[in-house]
Amino acid sequence: MAVLVKLDDLLHARRMTLSELADKVDITLANLSILKTGKAKAIRFSTLDAICTALECQPGDLLGHEPSIPQEDEE
Amino acid sequence: MLARPGLLSTTRLALRVLAGLTIVYGIGVALFLAASLIAPAWLELALSGHEGITSLTTGMRLMALIGLADAPLGYIFLTRLLAMVDSVRGGDPFIPENARRLMVIARTMLGIQLLNLAEGAISAAFSTPGNQLDAGWEPSIDGWLAVLLLFVLARVFHHGTQMRADLAGTV
Repeated sequence: MAVLVKLDDLLHARRMTLSELADKVDITLANLSILKTGKAKAIRFSTLDAICTALECQPGDLLGHEPSIPQEDEE
Repeated sequence: MLARPGLLSTTRLALRVLAGLTIVYGIGVALFLAASLIAPAWLELALSGHEGITSLTTGMRLMALIGLADAPLGYIFLTRLLAMVDSVRGGDPFIPENARRLMVIARTMLGIQLLNLAEGAISAAFSTPGNQLDAGWEPSIDGWLAVLLLFVLARVFHHGTQMRADLAGTV
């Protein structure tokens, strides 16, 4: 997918683990892992809000767009 | 709870029996067709009481061909339905595979209805005043409504499974 999730970079910059983030935002580690590895198909505003609050960042810091990456087949 | 296990087991058994019967039916029709070609006198005698190629014989052979086409359609219909019942038993029926199965069922039902129309046309064309090929034939309105219903349900199911897949990937 052309949309990149830069959660790994943000966590690294803040020296925070995924488990610590999961505790802070009350989202399961499994779901955060799906988000981090780019396997998520969609993200709720409430999830975005919680992550941005916990990491003190903007949605644009978390998400990026790379047109050169081909779109995956939805089927 | 999607359905009572007892009801599902009964349905499953009924579908398996019916699927087996469509195979028997197909073999029977194929044997009948072969016999009518190998020993036509027998068929003519049985149909009209006297030997000789009649329009009734030709009509009966065409009817047999329709029956031969009907059998695999019926088998596909029943086995896809059986697979859907199995997925209900497995606890996860809202999967894209079932949407595809429902679409296949709708298409086979359409095929069966078209063959039914052909049957009526053959009956009208080859029946004689004294001998009707399929005297009780009439267009099946219920069947055509079932075709429409199945196509609509297949599309609804397809959208539903897509929404479910999207929801499953939402964090």
